[in-house]
Amino acid sequence: MSSILIENLSIKFRIYHDRSPSFKDYFASLFKRQRHVAYSDFWAVKDVSFEIKAGDRVGIIGHNGAGKSTLLKALCRVYEPSDGRISVDGRIAPLLEIGAGFHPEFTGRENIYLNGAILGYTKQQLNVIEPEVITFAELEEFIDTPVKYYSTGMYMRLAFSLATAMHPDILVLDEIFAGGDAAFMAKARARMHNLIDKADIMIMVSHDHELIKSLCNRVIWLDHGKLTADGSPEDVVGRYLAGKHNG
Amino acid sequence: MKTNARSFLGELYDSRNVLSQLVSQQLILRYRRTALGYFWTLINPLLMMSVMALVFATLFKADLKTFTVFLFAGMIPWNFFSSAVTQSGASFINNEGLIKKIYLPKIIFPLSIAFALLIDSALSFLALFVIILFIGGSLSWAVLFIPIAYVILFFFALGISLITSVATVFFRDLQHIILIAMQGLFFLTPILYKNDALAGKVAWLVGLNPVVPFIELFRAPLSQASLPSIIVILQAIGFSLSAMVIGLFIFLQQEKKIVFRL
Repeated sequence: MSSILIENLSIKFRIYHDRSPSFKDYFASLFKRQRHVAYSDFWAVKDVSFEIKAGDRVGIIGHNGAGKSTLLKALCRVYEPSDGRISVDGRIAPLLEIGAGFHPEFTGRENIYLNGAILGYTKQQLNVIEPEVITFAELEEFIDTPVKYYSTGMYMRLAFSLATAMHPDILVLDEIFAGGDAAFMAKARARMHNLIDKADIMIMVSHDHELIKSLCNRVIWLDHGKLTADGSPEDVVGRYLAGKHNG
Repeated sequence: MKTNARSFLGELYDSRNVLSQLVSQQLILRYRRTALGYFWTLINPLLMMSVMALVFATLFKADLKTFTVFLFAGMIPWNFFSSAVTQSGASFINNEGLIKKIYLPKIIFPLSIAFALLIDSALSFLALFVIILFIGGSLSWAVLFIPIAYVILFFFALGISLITSVATVFFRDLQHIILIAMQGLFFLTPILYKNDALAGKVAWLVGLNPVVPFIELFRAPLSQASLPSIIVILQAIGFSLSAMVIGLFIFLQQEKKIVFRL
């Protein structure tokens, strides 16, 4: 059974005010007595702790820049915690940004293998899922065309079909509900629900509160990197909306 | 430390699929939609080296045949080393989009460059082999040493590449500095001239140049039909090991900071 334990997680970004320090600045600052501070620290996530058990469907809400995506990326190991610990038990799927790692010069089929490898699929797995991905994306005719000639919809369909072709234990979603025409949207939504149903744990970030209420059984509210509330969707979303109106 | 090393290697093994995809991406992409395709990888350095052979053989009043083999045997390891170090310098910066979105062991970016260049280099070596036979040069059993020379050179180039790839993330100026430094190093390495030909005030610089034994590893079997001396082999292995140790040390220490600095 999968589980996630987050203890006192903090993630710090260093914001450089002018530019990346050059050699000149570096050596100049070595000789200066008083170091000129050209950056400031920004805590995107500050001292957050919670535990997620199998069966949990967690929605994360908060205003823009509250640290929601940073938290998800930390779960997927993109960002190393500056402080605290994350323990993940189970196979986690990096579904943060579909289509990351697609190469425009490569054909659709080549991109299935390239992007699939990046997503952590083995060659054998890719051989098995390749026909299904192509059929689902409805790209039979164009699969051997470089993706730079694809329309946005075709590109999205391929990326979505590939990213959702395997069933991870832990599903991490950042505001993705695929584009495409109405027929594809309906199909994609069904596939997404199926994926969510089969996952042990689902964590999603979304600004669509109705969607969160319909998919999640637990909601976490992040505000300026801190955990403000953690509870039932109705309760937390209600308080979040109320708080927003007051403030 | 032991478990760290094991998880590092285990992770690398797990991502062998991505690594091979990145390598083939590099090999395929450059010449996609060109009529001669991958052949350009062979033709390009060979033509370049032929021009150099012609010019410098005339300039040095050397025999064209001997000088061609002499020059090619030096250029092949040099081209591999210099391309690996320069291209790795930009490897994290060019893959910023990927690194910020999906976790991948970061060593695969410089490593895939080194592997792709190794394949290129091995193939241009085969082309050189054909040329040597064609112009009637003599080949000896010493040629069998070349694969070993490649292994030693590979780890040396990889070690230096790890240093430049990490350092460039922190100091972007390095991308340009490396290019100039490699130009300078080219002339301080006995590629166009014989090992002891550069006399006078700059001779000591050649003596300090760590690339020198690697050129010798290739040149002795190809151009002199003999095995490199044991001292040269040991020197090269020493430089290669030191480069790997320093490179891995810097890389592992900074690896987790890279994403925050892209």
